[in-house]
Amino acid sequence: MAGTATGVEPRAPANRLRNRLLTFGLLLPAGAWYLVMLVLPLVIILIYSFGVRARNGGYEPAFVFDNYARAISKADPFIESLQMSVMGTIGCLLVGLPLAYFLAMRAGRNKSTLLLLLVVPFWTSFLIRTYAWLIILGPNLGLAGQIESIFGVQDVQILGSSFAVLLGLVYGYLPLMVFPLYVTLERMDRTLIEASKDLGAGRWSTFRQVTLPITLPGLVTGSILVFIPMMGEYVIPELLGVGRTYLMGNALVTDFLEARNWPSGAARAVLLIIVMIVTVAGYLWFVNRGRRTRDVSVL
Amino acid sequence: MTERDIKDLLTQGPVSRRGFLAAAGLTGLSATIAACTGTGGAASDAPTAAPTAAPTAVPTAAAASGAVESAAPTVAPAPSYAVEDELIMYNWAEYISDENIKKFKAEYGLKKFQYDVFDNNDVLMAKLQGGASGYDVASPTMNYLPAMIESGFLQKLDMSRIPNMELINPVFRKQWWDPTEEYAVPKDYGTTGILYRSTLLPSVPTSWKEFYDLIKGEASGKTIFVKSRDDVFIFPLKMLGYSLNSVDPNELEQARQILLEVAPHLYGLDSNQYGQTMADGTASMALGWTGELGQSLKDTKDKGYVVPTEGTAFWLDTWVILADAPHPEASYAWLNFIHRPEIQGEETNFNLYATPNDAAKAYVKPAILADPAIFPSEEALKNLEGQEDTSDSTQRNDIWEEFQSKVGG
Repeated sequence: MAGTATGVEPRAPANRLRNRLLTFGLLLPAGAWYLVMLVLPLVIILIYSFGVRARNGGYEPAFVFDNYARAISKADPFIESLQMSVMGTIGCLLVGLPLAYFLAMRAGRNKSTLLLLLVVPFWTSFLIRTYAWLIILGPNLGLAGQIESIFGVQDVQILGSSFAVLLGLVYGYLPLMVFPLYVTLERMDRTLIEASKDLGAGRWSTFRQVTLPITLPGLVTGSILVFIPMMGEYVIPELLGVGRTYLMGNALVTDFLEARNWPSGAARAVLLIIVMIVTVAGYLWFVNRGRRTRDVSVL
Repeated sequence: MTERDIKDLLTQGPVSRRGFLAAAGLTGLSATIAACTGTGGAASDAPTAAPTAAPTAVPTAAAASGAVESAAPTVAPAPSYAVEDELIMYNWAEYISDENIKKFKAEYGLKKFQYDVFDNNDVLMAKLQGGASGYDVASPTMNYLPAMIESGFLQKLDMSRIPNMELINPVFRKQWWDPTEEYAVPKDYGTTGILYRSTLLPSVPTSWKEFYDLIKGEASGKTIFVKSRDDVFIFPLKMLGYSLNSVDPNELEQARQILLEVAPHLYGLDSNQYGQTMADGTASMALGWTGELGQSLKDTKDKGYVVPTEGTAFWLDTWVILADAPHPEASYAWLNFIHRPEIQGEETNFNLYATPNDAAKAYVKPAILADPAIFPSEEALKNLEGQEDTSDSTQRNDIWEEFQSKVGG
């Protein structure tokens, strides 16, 4: 034993060391990037959130909790953001799931073309696409103007409504929902659906008991991908909501730019991050629990 | 995409100021300029030399050049500048005449003239607070100057190197934002007021009180406010007869009541598209700025603008040299150059904002000079109040936020 051990030993640590160095070296760029671009700014925001506004705006070091008290007492924009994001996520799901299903299962040889059509607008500036909706929903040639002329009614206003904002949110983030759904559906073993039908399940039961559980990882990823940016959305309420929908992103702009109160804005941002982490964690927990119980019931 | 990219893009309305001027035609102006460029003394040939121009400069200039010129009331001899080969400017969009940039580059042999834009002072302020900006000159609005001076963002100016400062109307000199006149050179001024479309209203508002009644009445759902806290506060405070800079808790509370009362009647809060929104008839009134009149509303026949009788705010944009300016000599040269009467006159013809430089009025097209939306009447000038920096008033911020979340019901 001792002989073989000494025979191997001199090589193993060197190998392990080289492997470790290699792993370290390969992870270094990503690690450094995350540290400098994500962790450090978050730490700065956290520090700022306990400070006070300098006399002329900005940040002055201090250790107070006033900013948090103020942020909590002004929860309106946060609640409105939460409502909009939840509705937006559901909207993306309602539009995105059938679309992804069609692309993965039924599109046939048009699949690549259709996928490309979905991706191309996503490469265009988000702002320009949102501007386009100003014309689509607006008066005269737009939807509001068309409704007025067709039905002979007056003062139809779509821009500025929550509906317009919601439409903008769903439109803007839809691809982020479709792609993960598409990927999971694409990889799905189709014989499972046939098996389900052979065993006497109807369309709905097949969807509920076979397709949905398999799609779940994509559904979760997609929901999180659209929900998080929607919570911080600023441009869509500003343009399509004509400033009538006051969301968290707009409140942060007011804090940082108009009041020049960086600590107050930082405290709000920290709370937003915390609440989102909790929400997302809770969502993941709920979904996984659901899966587990279903797995058990299937067994 | 960063916040600034977005904001920059947001400011690009459907009709640019340059586009408007191209349509309006610069023929008359170019003739004037052709007649007046060349020697500095030619400025005295201008038909309507402004009476208030530079009283102190007159005797010395006349004495110095008396043998050569009979009278040279406006232009002092330009000092020499060891100009670097670049100038990097941070400014509002479409705010400087391209022609003047070309002339400046040619005269001083600049290789590069960089013109970056911001769309509000807060973005400029945030940039400066973030550290070295790399810019030479910028044009903040005057109420931001004290904070910038105190934070050490601005360079102390040697006014003897900017002799054209003497051409500025005293109304805009040595005021609270720069009492010792050491940091800023006035650029353009304008007012916040009421824009309206007369055919969409039963009566045209002339005061904030009438504006208030219309918002709750016939113009309900058809009034838009610019998304600018301090401009929105002008309306309730002036209507109540208070200073628009008030931070008095009781006065602000009364203003709050009025704002919350009108909030559900508003179409929206928007500084980017409101001109267009009025042009297409969605809105019939706006609390806003005069710039839109020549842009989105230029083809709207029934447009109007009024400075409310209770008074309103004037804003004054100023030229400053930043503390860490990489090209200070070029910056000085620019500040003096831009206030040469013929150059400054062309600025007004280009950007349609009133110039505080009285000598330059001689070069401004008569139609522009006569437009009350651009140059307020002497009487209107009396009721104007300069905006102060009130961003540290928590009460104002709280009201502003409450108001924003109530807009549109």
